[in-house]
Amino acid sequence: MTLRTYVITRILLTIPMILILLTTVFIVMRVLPGDPVQMHFEKMATPATIEAMRVQLGLNKPLWAQYFDYVFGLFRGDLGKSMQDYSSVGQQIFSAFPATLELAICAMLIAGIIGIFLGVEASKSYNKPKDHVIRVFGIVTYAIPVFFLGMILQLVFGVWLRWLPTGGRVAPGMNPRGLNLALNANSNSFVAYFVAPLLVGLLLVSVYLTAAKAKHKKFGRRAILFSLAFFAAGSLLSGVISWYSMSSGGIHVSTGLFTVDSLLEGNIFKFGTTIKYLLLPSLALGLVLCGVFIRLTRSNMFDTMRLDFVTAAKARGLKDRNVTYGYAFRNAFLPILTMMGLEFALLLGGAVLTETTFSWPGLGRYLVDRINFRDYTAIQGAVVVFGLFVSIVSLVVDLLYAYLDPRIRL
Amino acid sequence: MKHLNTKDVKAVSKMIAIVAIILVIIIAGVAAGYYYSTTQQPTSPTPTPSASLSPTASPSTVKETLVMGTTDSVETCLDPARAYDFFGWEIIQSLGCPLVEYQAGTDQIIASLATSWSVSDDGLRWTFNLRQGVHFDNGSEFTADAVKYTFDRNIQIADPDGPFVGIGYGDIISNVTVISPFVVEFNLKIPFAAFLSLMASQASCIVDPQYAPEAGATWSVNDVVVYRDSDPRGSNPMGLGPYTLKSWTRTAGKDSEIQLQANPNYWNASGGYPKTKNINIKMYADQSSLALAIQSGDVDVAFRQLATTDIINMQHSSNLKVWTGTGAFIQYFCMQEKYAPFNDVTVRQAIASALNRTALVQTVFQGQAQELYSMIPLGMFGHTDAFQSFGAPNYTLTKELLASLGYNANNKLTFDLWYESSGHYPSSAEQALVIQDSLQASGVITVNLQSLDWAGYRTARTQETMQAYIMGWYPDYIDPDDYIYPFVQSTGGSWLHINYNSSTMDALVANARGNTSVAIRQGIYGQINDLIVADCPLIPLYQSSAFAVTKTNVQGVYLDITQQWRNWLVYATGS
Amino acid sequence: MRKDIVNKSMLAKIIPGLGSLAKRRGLAGKLVILGAILTASIVVMTLLSPWITPYSPSKINVGIPLTAPNSQFPLGTDNLGRDMLSRIIAGGGVMLQVALVSVAICLLIGVPLGLFSSQTGGIVDKFFSLIMDSVYAFPGIILAIAFSLVLGRGVINMALSIAVVYVPSYFRVIRSQVLSIKELPYVEAANSIGAKRRTILRRYIFPNVLPSVVVVATVNFADAILTAAGLTFIGLGLPANVPDWGWDLTNGRKLLPSGNWWVITFAGTMIILLALGFTLMGEGLSELLNPRLEQGEEK
Repeated sequence: MTLRTYVITRILLTIPMILILLTTVFIVMRVLPGDPVQMHFEKMATPATIEAMRVQLGLNKPLWAQYFDYVFGLFRGDLGKSMQDYSSVGQQIFSAFPATLELAICAMLIAGIIGIFLGVEASKSYNKPKDHVIRVFGIVTYAIPVFFLGMILQLVFGVWLRWLPTGGRVAPGMNPRGLNLALNANSNSFVAYFVAPLLVGLLLVSVYLTAAKAKHKKFGRRAILFSLAFFAAGSLLSGVISWYSMSSGGIHVSTGLFTVDSLLEGNIFKFGTTIKYLLLPSLALGLVLCGVFIRLTRSNMFDTMRLDFVTAAKARGLKDRNVTYGYAFRNAFLPILTMMGLEFALLLGGAVLTETTFSWPGLGRYLVDRINFRDYTAIQGAVVVFGLFVSIVSLVVDLLYAYLDPRIRL
Repeated sequence: MKHLNTKDVKAVSKMIAIVAIILVIIIAGVAAGYYYSTTQQPTSPTPTPSASLSPTASPSTVKETLVMGTTDSVETCLDPARAYDFFGWEIIQSLGCPLVEYQAGTDQIIASLATSWSVSDDGLRWTFNLRQGVHFDNGSEFTADAVKYTFDRNIQIADPDGPFVGIGYGDIISNVTVISPFVVEFNLKIPFAAFLSLMASQASCIVDPQYAPEAGATWSVNDVVVYRDSDPRGSNPMGLGPYTLKSWTRTAGKDSEIQLQANPNYWNASGGYPKTKNINIKMYADQSSLALAIQSGDVDVAFRQLATTDIINMQHSSNLKVWTGTGAFIQYFCMQEKYAPFNDVTVRQAIASALNRTALVQTVFQGQAQELYSMIPLGMFGHTDAFQSFGAPNYTLTKELLASLGYNANNKLTFDLWYESSGHYPSSAEQALVIQDSLQASGVITVNLQSLDWAGYRTARTQETMQAYIMGWYPDYIDPDDYIYPFVQSTGGSWLHINYNSSTMDALVANARGNTSVAIRQGIYGQINDLIVADCPLIPLYQSSAFAVTKTNVQGVYLDITQQWRNWLVYATGS
Repeated sequence: MRKDIVNKSMLAKIIPGLGSLAKRRGLAGKLVILGAILTASIVVMTLLSPWITPYSPSKINVGIPLTAPNSQFPLGTDNLGRDMLSRIIAGGGVMLQVALVSVAICLLIGVPLGLFSSQTGGIVDKFFSLIMDSVYAFPGIILAIAFSLVLGRGVINMALSIAVVYVPSYFRVIRSQVLSIKELPYVEAANSIGAKRRTILRRYIFPNVLPSVVVVATVNFADAILTAAGLTFIGLGLPANVPDWGWDLTNGRKLLPSGNWWVITFAGTMIILLALGFTLMGEGLSELLNPRLEQGEEK
């Protein structure tokens, strides 16, 4: 089938998938012994109070009504109110999610870098001692429970050496604030309306030109026209942003990922602190995962290195490093990339234990806490977000693969 | 790659050069913009040094900021109409002020926002004279109107989550009347001897009307002040306390940080309080992380919760100080009286005689708790070691009692013992194991252990499906009534679902509640304790101790029966 | 005939002699043997535990709590005074049972379902794939937690919770294998000479699928053990008096900051060794049985 059909089919399939997920969770939650109403009353509660609470939580409605209310709410983008503390579930999830995302990305980077590097080394000395050691290392790290490894790391680096903090995401008062376009009514209009648009326009033009040159296009009249167009578009956009910022007291851009936010803020000190806190949890999670990448890289590289064009490159006298990373690796990389995508999705769930060990304020820990309280809306919301994210990642990975390898259009 | 020629190379190099120059200009501009914006941001307000400090510490030796670590988190919000958790109350008490308070280290009530008080002879009318010259944030003066506003509001909101419903303020207080700007009167529905204790509770802190606004014709649950992101002042309706809320960061329902800053309007600021001007509270996910944090020096004070083994270990540490005090948390053994075997008082008494509290306290808590022989804890009047009459453990008595019902070594009394497994109570699984061991050591009892997570446990309790289960209790107000009425009184104890009903007991409890004479009440509670031993509806197990671990330069930690953590008394010396 | 040759060579791959295993393919053979020895010794130790433990593993206060390893208690005692050596010897039982039962359930449900779905094709196949993908998209441990809470404590229930998470992996692997085998010429040939679907399944597809299933099963074992430990960590393990390494691991974590290293270390090591045993076997087997098998590491 064509790429377009494939894409559309995949996207359409995501919706029923999420619905099934949601329905399962909905049912499972209500089958669980214990309910959120009970959890609100530590001590005595009269039947009237209990009933008042049921109404407050919306649990007095019939089950199907609750279900449809929730599903329709989802389509509107409303994840409901938490049954534990009445705050917006959407808000809570979207403040917890970037933390897990950051941890997942960092862990994946570590797993990927260590795994790929070791995998390549292993494939180069196939079946020799170095290869065996590396393979065994990958297997052993996989078998370690992540919270055990985390505890050891905490003990060694946090207590004995005192190099790194033992838990948490950020030091008190060090929340990165992200980018603050502090253009407000007091700001210099000249800078806002002339200098900034000029710079942005020029930037866009240079990007276009570089891209065009890379594709070896000629610089004719069309190129000049496009350059002017890009310049105008860039300046206009920048001008509009400046105007908006000036009239509303400044625009605030923050991603929720503290590493990115601290860079956006321009505060290198905060960036360093964020990395310090991020290091141990990602290391724990990344080490446990790197085994997969070692194995995959090793086998793929081994296969690729046997192919003809590699032998030809070596025969031409190219350096070993060039051959490995420049030729062979690029071809072997594709399955590794897709594996990263798949692992990423699973990483989100596996982060639960890591987050508990390191007091990392992420979605996994949120979910476990809410399960304890039987906070139905929060649990449903978190599961939907998880499922949605996993589906999106696997969709992107599948699409990437389908785009790059036309054979796979199942 | 295509074969390169010199013309192409030159063109490419030129292109690269132009792009590079443009990029440099842009980066310079952007960097300039950043520095421009960062210097424009308001700097955090530096705390103004207090006018006069306590005479014992000169300004240079008391640290300005203290970092505290805890595993707690504000459960719902900082509105006394709804907040009903330990940590929420701790913060409310730092931000607000009640009419009366406890003298630190004792259970004596002293003046706070009220300077003196009196009660009518029938115990139904309490009159408070208020302190003059106290102001809210906005400069308006604190008067009796604020007191009436507070209690009217909180009682009317009647939040099912909150202490006003849970403790039953509405069942105790009939109305609050303003007699004059600085005299307020509480009219009660029933004579309530523990009324002062109730007024000293964190739930009774006075709110700031400006931040607890009136809405519509009456107050309702929607008027409860909840957490607002980046708006600490708008997130709490308190005022008049030793601190103001400088920042409150909460992610996904869990706190990550709370910062307190000295309140210059605090009525006792002239006395040098709060001792520490800034307090940063950092939240940790569990005991181990907190233990690591205090050991590595990340925090100055660690309070709630630390594992017993860590506490014992830290007692040997030379750079940490371990503070110990009376706890008010108790745990007790419940038995379901609706079904066999516990519908027979003989069986219940047999269990009471076989329990080994010493083993429990020594093994599970390594001696860092106290054996409890009465539902009223040690340190409170009304406490008597009533359950010691069994002699614990007293297997002879156990065997005798059970033999009378036909149980012996070949026909053992068998039942399920339930405990909660999600960490709601400390070391529940270990406690269950030790209790099982001590009961089975009698030779005539077999205990099967079962567990549920807290939510499931609660439901099972309501559904009365558990034969024997362990529960715990934190007091709402510091009075023996709060340890008796909610357990053995027919309506008061109904939430426990042990189905114990005794009219004799009910009469005694009502008597003790109403009488204002401490001496008389003490006598009645003695009788109540004896009746509990005779009827054995529940069996007290142990009373916790309170612990805090701090660096060696920290002073002012008071761990007393009131369980109030007074942030304004804690300080650290040194630079 | 041809199909017998096909069968024999497949079976020959699955049950090779141990000696030839070690010699063949270098490391892979050694890995399988190492893994098998490790696993077998742990299993044997657990089976013999009622007889070889010096003290009863669940009896409290047999020794002074929190004593470091010494002559009387070679692995020390925990905070309730229980002998760690006895607990280590007996503690594998729970994990092995949970892992075994969950793998059994997975095999009983996942394999037939995968075979059936891929054989039938069409709407049925799409339907099951959709369901399996939904479950697969779910963060595993969360599902396991939810099921544990619903079902309650106990080995079977914990195994069920874990099995639910892993069935999709089996399903996917089998399905992709079957789909690729279905295209092979000799299967088509068999079809065209009128072989029944059941026969094709049994004679051609099943033996080809078996190696992959074995590999997934071993990895599943290892994962089940780690997930069981994870569930106990969160507090959803078995009731407290059953000796269990996961319980010691969780308990030991609380005791570690105060310097009591022996509770967590030995329990952790045993869990690692057991998981390692299965993983080694899986590694080796996957290399042996299908050296060019695309290593989609499904959890």
